[in-house]
Amino acid sequence: MNTEVPKIDPEKCTGCGDCVGECPTGAVELVEGKALIARPDDCSYCTDCESICLFEAIQCPYEIILAEENRTS
Amino acid sequence: MPASTDFLKSILYFSGLGAREMERVRKEAVELSFEGGEILFLEGETCRGLYLVYSGRIRIFKSSPEGREQVLMIAKRGDSFNDVPVFDGGPNPASSSALEPSVVYLIPKEALLALVGDCPAALAILKVFSARLRHLTSVVEDLSFRSVVSRMARLLLDLSVVKEGTAPVPRLTQDEMAARVGSVRDVIGRALKTLEAAGAIRLEGHRIYVVDSEKLKKMA
Repeated sequence: MNTEVPKIDPEKCTGCGDCVGECPTGAVELVEGKALIARPDDCSYCTDCESICLFEAIQCPYEIILAEENRTS
Repeated sequence: MPASTDFLKSILYFSGLGAREMERVRKEAVELSFEGGEILFLEGETCRGLYLVYSGRIRIFKSSPEGREQVLMIAKRGDSFNDVPVFDGGPNPASSSALEPSVVYLIPKEALLALVGDCPAALAILKVFSARLRHLTSVVEDLSFRSVVSRMARLLLDLSVVKEGTAPVPRLTQDEMAARVGSVRDVIGRALKTLEAAGAIRLEGHRIYVVDSEKLKKMA
């Protein structure tokens, strides 16, 4: 289960709403003029919101992990 | 023919040398002649020393396993090359060949190192700069010869850590990954999908799992 959602910087967010329109699952909403992941369970971490944001207000970092099943000496 | 003092003094490395040290370098210098197309040395070979171009032009280049070449420099009269391995002690970082009939002087690395022998700090600084130059040479090689998928595979191999280990788990956005491998985020997204389709990684939400590092190494 995805436990993380995109990070939205309210200082950079202008409330333009582009991310809301771009989100394929409706997870992003404008709340009091700022973008917010209102439905985190619906977020598929597709990163479309990060891609569309002109103000670099949204960040979708990836953790890079050596998986348990891969461990070699 | 021994190297002339005037020629050696025109080289930046030696312009400040005293008469005794200049004479020592001059005596150590070995004159070598090459026809056009002839190889002077190959990447990976043991470094013999610093080369100075007296006449002609020398091509310094890196080669991919598939035979593609990336020229790093065209050395002409007065230029030096193969400086890096003299000071960092490693093998030749690139190959060289003559573009036309050329004469070069080889200054053995022991003779050069002797010039800074009584100043350990200078030698240490030179080693650091040489290591940085060697690293940049490999960045050029990476960008020239490797596909984005290959560079992403290398990046993931280098960065991935076990979740419960002591090292912090690295976190990069696709833009940051793109900057590291010299590409753009859209291409990074496609590269990740390619690596996942190959079974080397698994994407789960905000996590990239390296599930088959052997496969990833083959793709790197």
